Amino acid sequence: MAGHGGSRVSGAPCASDRATGMAYSVLAEIGRLLEALATDGRSDAIDLRSLPLTDADREQLLELLGPGEVTAELDVAGRSTVRETAFAGVWWICHRGADDRVASEEIAVCPVPSIVVSHPADISAAARRIQQTLSESTPGQAEAS
Amino acid sequence: MADNNPFDRKPARTLGEALNERGISRRSFLKFASYTASIMALPPAAATAMAEGLAAARRQSVIWLSFQECTGCTESFTRAKAPSIEDLIFDFISLDYHHTLQNASGHLAELAREQAMEENKGEYLVIVDGSVPLKDDGIYSTIAGMTNLQMLEDTVRNAKAVISVGSCAAFGGIPGADPNPTGAVAIDRIITDKPVINLPGCPPIPEVMTGTVAYLLSFDGIPELDHLGRPKAFFGEAIHDRCYRRPFYEKGMFAKSFDDEGARQGWCLFEVGCKGPVTYNACATLKWNGGVSFPIQSGHGCLGCSEPGFWDLGGFYKPLSTGKDGVLKYAAGAAAAGVAIGAASAYAVRSRRKTIMGNATQPVATPDEKEAK
Repeated sequence: MAGHGGSRVSGAPCASDRATGMAYSVLAEIGRLLEALATDGRSDAIDLRSLPLTDADREQLLELLGPGEVTAELDVAGRSTVRETAFAGVWWICHRGADDRVASEEIAVCPVPSIVVSHPADISAAARRIQQTLSESTPGQAEAS
Repeated sequence: MADNNPFDRKPARTLGEALNERGISRRSFLKFASYTASIMALPPAAATAMAEGLAAARRQSVIWLSFQECTGCTESFTRAKAPSIEDLIFDFISLDYHHTLQNASGHLAELAREQAMEENKGEYLVIVDGSVPLKDDGIYSTIAGMTNLQMLEDTVRNAKAVISVGSCAAFGGIPGADPNPTGAVAIDRIITDKPVINLPGCPPIPEVMTGTVAYLLSFDGIPELDHLGRPKAFFGEAIHDRCYRRPFYEKGMFAKSFDDEGARQGWCLFEVGCKGPVTYNACATLKWNGGVSFPIQSGHGCLGCSEPGFWDLGGFYKPLSTGKDGVLKYAAGAAAAGVAIGAASAYAVRSRRKTIMGNATQPVATPDEKEAK
């Protein structure tokens, strides 16, 4: 099919379906960030959508990083997935928007991605809500339910 | 606005507090900020600061003025298929006046504009689509008995900043095209004492508009702009720089017509008039319709709609190399010789771009002025 970024164009291969070596460059950068996290506790991230990664590069990077122990699915203004890779502290975060398309994708190098952690403001609001729920429920209602 | 305002149009609560009551958590802010930081090429770490800034901000009052326009910019801004991360921007702003979208009409509509201006003095944002006619005292476009010029000046007087959306507001666009019968001019030709951000395009990409508004809200400042007042985050690179067909350009492989073998094979559309090399916009990366495609991917050359005077650049299907000033003869050479000259032509088109921009930023002559010359 002509004219599509991710497809092969006969006669002249489209660059997007070839591995370019970028995956190893990104892996090296992740290595530097992980070293900084290990020594200084400094968190960082790489925006994958800002990099000229081909589909093949992306697949290669996924393979190089491998699956880890933790996967979190978030239902926040659309679906999001947070996956730890085989390298502790290296997380692959994918946010999806309308029609479940990828809105942003990044590698976070940190102990726990901040989007997984409950925000203090949300915790305070939740505490208020639970008290309100309790105050609105009579013991009889609670037993009946 | 004070807390006791009976209309409660701009509550004193922060966005974080207000949206929490609707079950929108801070994770949503962070997700929106990650998405916005990504499309604006901000460092990922900026997302946290952006999310905190948004959560601490008050709902932004926005007055949207529509002048000589086609409503395509509004259509683009409101384009969304399902509740999602992209829609959050509509929770962050209070659209207090918009001809097409507001319920009120007649004098009540104008009352809403005046009320928003009064209640949010110095803090409201004015978004303008469409150019302003100046010829014959501006009689060619009036709203509620006011010329566009009067309404613009009146509304902007106490605004925080102005965003010109679409090429008509940013550069004059189609109303300003030759022979420009109404003497249409861009907004920044009139407003010179307030920050004016230009978001050209016909229409602009929705994410360019929402990203810019989110940036203003989060950081309470103006993003870095280029010499035409456009945010560099979206207009920093030419379509050509990020075009997936560029390898064909570099190899000298060009479609000669829209139904030849080259077109079917997805080769470069330079010779059928693509303006990608001189057009700065994010179409090749953000794309359209939720990232589905963009004109070149759909088989049509770029029209150059985010550049000044795109309507008068000599024809959508004429190659840049046949431009009137002949500066692009090097690009024609690239087409003929194929490989290696691509870089030279890229330099040439950039040089020509400077020429185009230089001309475009000169004061616009009305038909009468042209005649006088």
